[in-house]
Amino acid sequence: MMMLFAGGVLFAYAGMLALCQGLERHYKQVWNRTCPPAVRRVLRAAGWLALLLSLVLCAQAWGWAMGPVAWFAVMSLAGLVLVMLLPYWPRLAVGLVGLLPAWGGLQVFA
Amino acid sequence: MKNTFTQSMAWLHTWGGLVFGWLLFAIFVTGTLAVFDKELNHWMQPEIPASGVSQADAARRAIGYLQTHEAQAGNWGVSLPTERSPGLRVSTGDRRHGTAVHLDPHSGEAIDVRDSVGGNFFFRFHFTLDLPRNWGIFVVGALALVMLAALVTGIVIHKKLFKEFFTFRPNKGQRSWLDFHNASAVLLLPFHLMITYTGLVIFMLIYIPAGVDALFAGDNRAYFQAQGNGRLEQPRGQARQPGQLTDVVPLLAQAEAALGPISGFNIRNPNTAGARIEIRPELGNRIALSKGQAMVFDGVSGKLLSDVTEWRAAPLTQRVMVGLHFAQFGGYPMRWLYFVCGAISCVMIASGLVLFCVKRGRKYATASADASARRWYRVAEVCNIGFVAGLLLACVGLLWASRLLPVELAHREGWEVRAFFGVWLLALLHAGIRPARRAWVEQLGLTALLCVGLGVFGGLADGLRQGVVACAGVLGVLLGMVAWRVQHAAPAPLKGRAGRSVEAGA
Repeated sequence: MMMLFAGGVLFAYAGMLALCQGLERHYKQVWNRTCPPAVRRVLRAAGWLALLLSLVLCAQAWGWAMGPVAWFAVMSLAGLVLVMLLPYWPRLAVGLVGLLPAWGGLQVFA
Repeated sequence: MKNTFTQSMAWLHTWGGLVFGWLLFAIFVTGTLAVFDKELNHWMQPEIPASGVSQADAARRAIGYLQTHEAQAGNWGVSLPTERSPGLRVSTGDRRHGTAVHLDPHSGEAIDVRDSVGGNFFFRFHFTLDLPRNWGIFVVGALALVMLAALVTGIVIHKKLFKEFFTFRPNKGQRSWLDFHNASAVLLLPFHLMITYTGLVIFMLIYIPAGVDALFAGDNRAYFQAQGNGRLEQPRGQARQPGQLTDVVPLLAQAEAALGPISGFNIRNPNTAGARIEIRPELGNRIALSKGQAMVFDGVSGKLLSDVTEWRAAPLTQRVMVGLHFAQFGGYPMRWLYFVCGAISCVMIASGLVLFCVKRGRKYATASADASARRWYRVAEVCNIGFVAGLLLACVGLLWASRLLPVELAHREGWEVRAFFGVWLLALLHAGIRPARRAWVEQLGLTALLCVGLGVFGGLADGLRQGVVACAGVLGVLLGMVAWRVQHAAPAPLKGRAGRSVEAGA
């Protein structure tokens, strides 16, 4: 349950991050250069996909009745954390997505 | 009349938000605290031991106590220890007019527990504002409508909703406040809309009674019976013949297998041939709020008399909406999601209130503005401090009062409530006589200290109480950071209290 919940949070954060980085001004905010159009398309697609995965994980944790309720909360909160981190520690905001492979590793090996 | 549609909406959002925002903030804060009402109850009544006793043992001890002391009562109620409320409580008489006794779940002996309003106060204040009769429910309903209007007008006047979806620019004064107000409102918009709308649905029969008036001639009981919630007829004759009560434990197991975790049970006409055992599920086994549902067993034979009712589509829809508001489902992770979302709603409202003053500070705080405008600006400023920082102080003040007031005080609960409102009133007065920034710092700082200081009352051996103290500690540290930031905000008048929203959002 807690692992699935954590996965739902991480995927929601990754999704919000990818959608955010798919926007010109926020990509520039982190990397100080413009975003190639191809990268932007990939980021946006990956963002929506990650949000969908987050929904699946929330539904695994709570079932399909309660899962979507949690999913909305998780997306909102992940988005707000991202918005608050970006202006202060932009690289950290992006780096947090590194927790996702760690979570995946735990899922596989633990 | 304002010139354009957007300007009218902006006018409505600004003034509606300011005037009703003060009470809305109080409603949101107490509602957020009410997410952990049982935990707060437990903290505020330190005499209740942490149990670890199984429900079956606790049920046997409760019935043993009732057989010894209340064998003739017409109705027994038993609240069993659960994950969130480890106390064992027995009561006799009606739900409203009965008397309740706390038992030690280990020994089955009565224990003296101080009277306290507990976290229930926050729950009740959240929808009644502690007003008499139904008035509070109507006031809160009206405020919920204002909140909905503020959300919709807010969407209309936020021109760059998608463009600035992820935008927050700190240390820019008014700009930062507006950014934070927008980000916290837009990102949590699903939560804001859901919680406000479902809040209205809870009392729909009070707000819009026309349907029941027309179809059931205003008879709410007939309406609930038509939904299948009717009580079984009580067998009057049998209730006078003595009977042998069956063992309740196997019935608890049977009910638990069908309904999920159990919160307690009632025995009507115990020790008679007409005894009925009603077993209640915990509220959180499904989204739909299952308040009032029970499995009913014959008290002598142990036969199942009636199962919980299946709701039809319309009542089920209402129950699900109510359940979404009550947030009893999904266990502790869900509870925390609701708590954090609620806390951010509070900060969103507070940031809007502060924004009102930040925006006008330059114009009205200077000596050149005319006297009456300056006076009104001051009123808004004082109310902001008293209703935001002051309310937070009053909430933590209630927790302190529950531990500091003498245990043997008569009408102790009343004094706790008086302490809450007293602290709130003092905070308003304090805000009125101190310069605005000093008042913010002093009230937020004191609130932070009181939150962090909750640990001094001990009782930390118990997981639930530990959680309350730890959570209060974290909130205290955050409030302390806010106070520190207000104190040290750049003194340049143009960028008054810049950047405070940063910590407030953390």
